[in-house]
Parts: sequence; structure tokens; C-alpha cells
Amino acid sequence: MADFDAIVVGSGMSGGMSAKELTERGLKVLVLERGPEIIPERDYTDNLNPWEKPNLDSVPQDEIAEHYPRQYGGVAYAIKESTKHFWVKDSEHPYEEAEGTTYDWLRGYHTAGRSIMWSRQTYRLSDLDFGANQREGHAIDWPIRYADIEPWYKKVETFVGISGSAEGLPQLPDSVFQPAFELTDAEKSLKASVEGAFPERNVIPARIAHLTDATEEQKELGRSNCQVRNHCHQGCSFKAYFSSLNATLPAAERTGNMTLVHNAIVQSVEYDAATNRVSGVRVIDALTNEKRTYTAKVLFLNASTIASAMILLQSKSETFPNGLANHSDQVGRNLMDHVSGANASGYLSGFDNKTTFGRRPSGGIYIPRYANLDGQDKPYRRGFGFQGGATSVGNAGGQIPGIGRAFKEAHRMPSAWRIGIGAFGEQLSNPDNRVTLHASKRDKWGNPLALFNVKYSDNEYTMLQEASKDAVAMLEAAGCTNITATDVNLTKPGNRIHEMGSARMGRDRDTSVLNGWCQAHDVPNLFITDGSFMTSAGCQNPSLTYMAFSARAANYAADLIEEGVL
Amino acid sequence: MKTRREFIQGLILSVGGAATLSACGDNAPAVMATAPNNPGRFYTSDEMLLVNRVADLIIPETETPGALQVNVAGYLDGLMTDWASAQTQEEHRLALIRLRVDLDAAVSGEFVSVSQADAEAALAALDARAFESDQSLQGYRTLKGWITQAYFATEAGAVQELKWVALPGRWDASVDINPA
Repeated sequence: MADFDAIVVGSGMSGGMSAKELTERGLKVLVLERGPEIIPERDYTDNLNPWEKPNLDSVPQDEIAEHYPRQYGGVAYAIKESTKHFWVKDSEHPYEEAEGTTYDWLRGYHTAGRSIMWSRQTYRLSDLDFGANQREGHAIDWPIRYADIEPWYKKVETFVGISGSAEGLPQLPDSVFQPAFELTDAEKSLKASVEGAFPERNVIPARIAHLTDATEEQKELGRSNCQVRNHCHQGCSFKAYFSSLNATLPAAERTGNMTLVHNAIVQSVEYDAATNRVSGVRVIDALTNEKRTYTAKVLFLNASTIASAMILLQSKSETFPNGLANHSDQVGRNLMDHVSGANASGYLSGFDNKTTFGRRPSGGIYIPRYANLDGQDKPYRRGFGFQGGATSVGNAGGQIPGIGRAFKEAHRMPSAWRIGIGAFGEQLSNPDNRVTLHASKRDKWGNPLALFNVKYSDNEYTMLQEASKDAVAMLEAAGCTNITATDVNLTKPGNRIHEMGSARMGRDRDTSVLNGWCQAHDVPNLFITDGSFMTSAGCQNPSLTYMAFSARAANYAADLIEEGVL
Repeated sequence: MKTRREFIQGLILSVGGAATLSACGDNAPAVMATAPNNPGRFYTSDEMLLVNRVADLIIPETETPGALQVNVAGYLDGLMTDWASAQTQEEHRLALIRLRVDLDAAVSGEFVSVSQADAEAALAALDARAFESDQSLQGYRTLKGWITQAYFATEAGAVQELKWVALPGRWDASVDINPA
């Protein structure tokens, strides 16, 4: 008799949704979180005022060098004294890179994982994405299409709460929206200019997972509308932005069917060759090093794209000598992220008599993909979206000339409106881009270190060069002055924190790990619904897609349990 | 002529005394209540005098408190002690030496003791050079950045001067600026 109906490994973006859906179907679910518990009342720091954060809220330089060199190198903007507890210490959680490669593995180990620290941009994929590999003959085809996932996007969005605007764009289908954060006057001007000069391009409000018109269900979970503080990296006591701690885990908790265990690092999955089923997981306690085993009828891996692949690779057996469910040898391969590094900014005149009120969270505008929509018409494949915004620049930081009253007061006087945009591009899958287990190096719990070997292809370099030119052209069309475009310098793989593809789905067990239900081809009661399943990356921020697939897979698994199949 | 210590001490006394400078709420960071003629945890007494004087000139008291009144020098003393690496500390010390030399030369005497008008003129000229092309004044620009950020991180700087609101509660994308 199994301990639980289902085990969900990981409490983050996808694990929270898996847990919610499974428990709401009446299943007894164990959620294993490798890190410590986050208690909002204790650990969120969003209610601190600037004068309650010493030393400009900066982490001491020696502490950065000792404990956070990679994390800080990747997301310095997010790692402050008031937020550092949301990020792993590199000194405790090292990883390795193959010679000649670099990788940013940026993460947090605690309740809700990176759903606490994400930037909350939320977009659907479309059939432009689900059909891309097939059209181009690249890699393998997705085993599903947009119509398969559309109802699940809708279900998830209704629960999560997305602010945005209906635009009717086929390449970026509309979500279930709560009211968008209105564009600034300068952004509206940019929108008019860009859409006039480039009819295939659109400038729309960023779609972000913030409540702007909370539903009764959201209110019942203690969530309320965004207060427009932009303190989101510090948690949100209003639970206004979506995280699993703010939404899915409380929803799972209220069913009475969830058991959540912290500090439980899954080391491997137990596999029963006689039944061809996984039977449970072996964990080591992060604090005590105690080892124990939990059993269940169904296993959901939601440990994150890297960690889930590593758990499979660590789970070797006679049947699966190269790692569990790895008949295809695709586990750990095809590792993707999004790629940035093409940014431009400029100044818009004509709005000197305008300012804003409130601190709008997570950007302002999104320019959806416009490249290669109706066939191949660019010198690169796939495409990119731009994120950005236009705000009245404050004179923060003291880096303007002058002293005395005029200098002091310049900081509260609205100044020139600056608009900035940066591309997020699709990275093509490549089986040689992979994470493997380091042959000899172990962490302090005895688990093999991740070894990354990821490089961009020429397509990403070409795409970002073109994106940079496009960015400048749009700012010029908008009438910007003092336009600056940084030299195109691609972000490190992993830096966008959109890891995908390490256990891709497909139709053929020889070339893919999962079927169209996120179910392992090789082992029917094993599901993986974090970013691992992604067959291609699209260019849209992927968390929403992880959650939609999690909800769909969880309900499919629940059906199979009800039917006695699992 | 006043000594430099008397000069700054006069400024401090005129705004209510050093003991009140760091008070800004129960959860306020531990910024020492520094007096300009005392050393801090990092700054020597001479350095403290200089940073106080420069901070006061960059962000003076107007209708709202200035850098001197909110003890920006004390804030920076804490920043150097608790945040800065040994390399940053050393670079900052050298920058202060350079700054003192430049400013003393500009006033043909002791910068921290000259009149308000002379001090303003000297620092304004140096500031202009720093923001034009004089790379040797990068350390001054760093100091100016810290002074400014520290000032606006105080309650007076954030709330009184910047009109920072803890809980906006709404987003208004288009607010007309009243010229008055």
C-alpha cells in the first residue's frame, strides 16, 4: 500500500499547480520541497520602507564574493540584503560548466521556489510555436497543438489572475484577463508610431500575473489587488502577484489532501521493473542527512528543468542504466532558455507636462513576435518579443551634474521620458546542449553536481543582431532622440531563468522522453510537468505554459487513477 | 576665522544637534549619531568633516532637511564599515584624499573652513569637471552617488523630498504636472 496517491517533487510554479489539481481531485498528495519553509509573515520583506533597509539594501561585497558570485552575477538587480534569503548560496549549491562554456543557474530553494522571485510576465504559446519544429523539420514535432492546451490555459489563468489586454493576435493568443496596467502617454505615442510604421508589429501592455480585479475565489485565498508598490522581489503580503505560496499551495492545503514536507532532497526514484512502475522516491533530509523513502501510485517531477533531469539521471537501474525513463537518451539534452542582449533606449519629447502615480510592476509594454509569422522571411529562424517601457526618468543615483538646491530638487522633478526595450528570443533546441551528472564532484549531501554544456547556435547570434537593428528602427520611428543601442552581447545561457527541454515530449519513445500528456513513454506513472517537457522554447515567458500543462497532466493522471489504470 | 571644526559644528548645532540626526523610527538602521569633529567607525575625524561638508553642499537644507540634517555622512560611515570590501574602502579613502587636495587647492586654503560661497564655487567647479571628462574624479562621482542615494534612503529624503508613498494603491499612467 503506497503512502500517498501522488508525490509531487517541487513546490514551485509547476509543482504548486500539480499539487492543487491533484488534491482538488481528491487525491492524497505529498509535496516534497528541498529547501526550507517560507512563512510570508516572517520572510516577506515587502513592507520595509527604504529607511528600514540599511546600506542601500546592498549585500556586503565580501559576502557576495563568498556566497553569491554566480547568482549576483546573473541577477544583481534582484539580490538585495532584503531578498538574498530567496536565492541559493553558490557556496552551498555549486555547479560546473564544460570547458569553453558558461551557464547561469539562478535559483531559490524554499517553499514555492522561483515563483516567489519571478518577473511575472505571462504569455500563451500558439500554434506558431507548437508547429514550428514540424514546419522547419527541426528536432521533433510537439505531440500536441494549441487546441489541446487552450482550455487549460483558460482554467489556469482564471485561477492565477493575469492583467492584460485582449488584442486578438494569432501568434499571442489572449488570456483570461483582468484589467491591464494602462500604458503611459509616451508608450501610447510609441504604440501609434510603431504600429503605423510597421503594420505587422504591435505594442501592447505587458501581461503580468498581478491581480487588478480579484475574483471571489482569489479573495477567498486571501489575495487582493496589486497595490502598485513594485516591491515584488521581496514577496507580496497582499498576495497580489501569483506565486505558488500565494495561491496554488493554499488552494491545495484547503482541500485537506496535501502533505508538504520541507528540506527533503530527492536523490532518486525507485523503479519496479516487474510492474514497470515507479514506486516512490528516496530523499535525504537537508538538515539532518537522514534518508527515507516515500511511496505513491503516481509521481510528478516538478523539481525544475535541471533538477528533474538530474533526478532521472541519478535513478539508474538494470532496465534504465542511463537513467530512469531515458530509453531515448534525451534526458538532460535539448536544454534551452530564452536569449537576450539586444537592447535599445531613447528619449521621447512632448511629455514634459506628464508624470505617473504608483510604481507599476514588471515593465510596461510588450511587442509580440512579428518575425517569420507567415513563412520564413528573415535571415534567422523563429523570433523574439520585446519587453520594455517608457517612464519619466527620475534622476536617481546622483549621476547628474550640479550641486545644491537645483541638484536636490532635480530628483523629484519629472525629467525626460526615456523608453527602453529589450528582446527575448527563442533558442533552438540542440541535443548537444545538455546537463549531465559530474563524474566525480558531489554536493554536501553526496549528490552529483550538475555539469552544463550549452552553447548558442548561429541562429541566436543572427537573430539578436537583427533584433537590435529592429529596436533602433522602432525607436527612430517613434521619434526618439539620443537613441543608444548597446553592442549585442548575448546573455549567458540560463540567464533568462527560463530553463526548458531536458525531457522533451514527442510522439516517439525513441526520440522523446514524454508523451503529449507529460507522461513518460517508458514508465506510465511518471509525469514531468516543469519546463523539462518543452519541445521547443517559443519566445514567450514560459511559466504559464508550465502551469497549463501541469493542470492538464494532473487531471489526466487523476483520470487514470480513477479508471484503475494507474 | 573659524576653524574647520567650529565651522561644521556650528552647522550641526544649527540643525538641532548631532544626537537627533539618526532618529527615524524603530526599525531604522544603526547609523551612528556622528558629530563632524568625531571619527566614525570608518572615517577619521578629518574624513568625517570633509564628507559632511561635501554632502551639505550637494544636498543642502531647503524646505526639507538636507544631507547634513539626516546624517548622510554617518550613513556612509556605516556603508563603508558594513558593506564595502577592503578594496572599496581603500579606493574611497584615496578618492577622499584626492578630493581634499583638489578642493584645498581651489580655495587656496582649507576647503572645510572657507565661506559658504567659496566652498560652493569650488565644489561646483570640481563637480562640473567630474561630469565633463575628468576621469580622475570618478571617486568623487561615486561619493556623490552614495550621498544622493543615502539621502533619498532616509525617511526625510524619501517622504519629505521625493514624496515617496509606501502604498500607492493604484496606477495612474497619465498625471498632469501642475506648473505651480
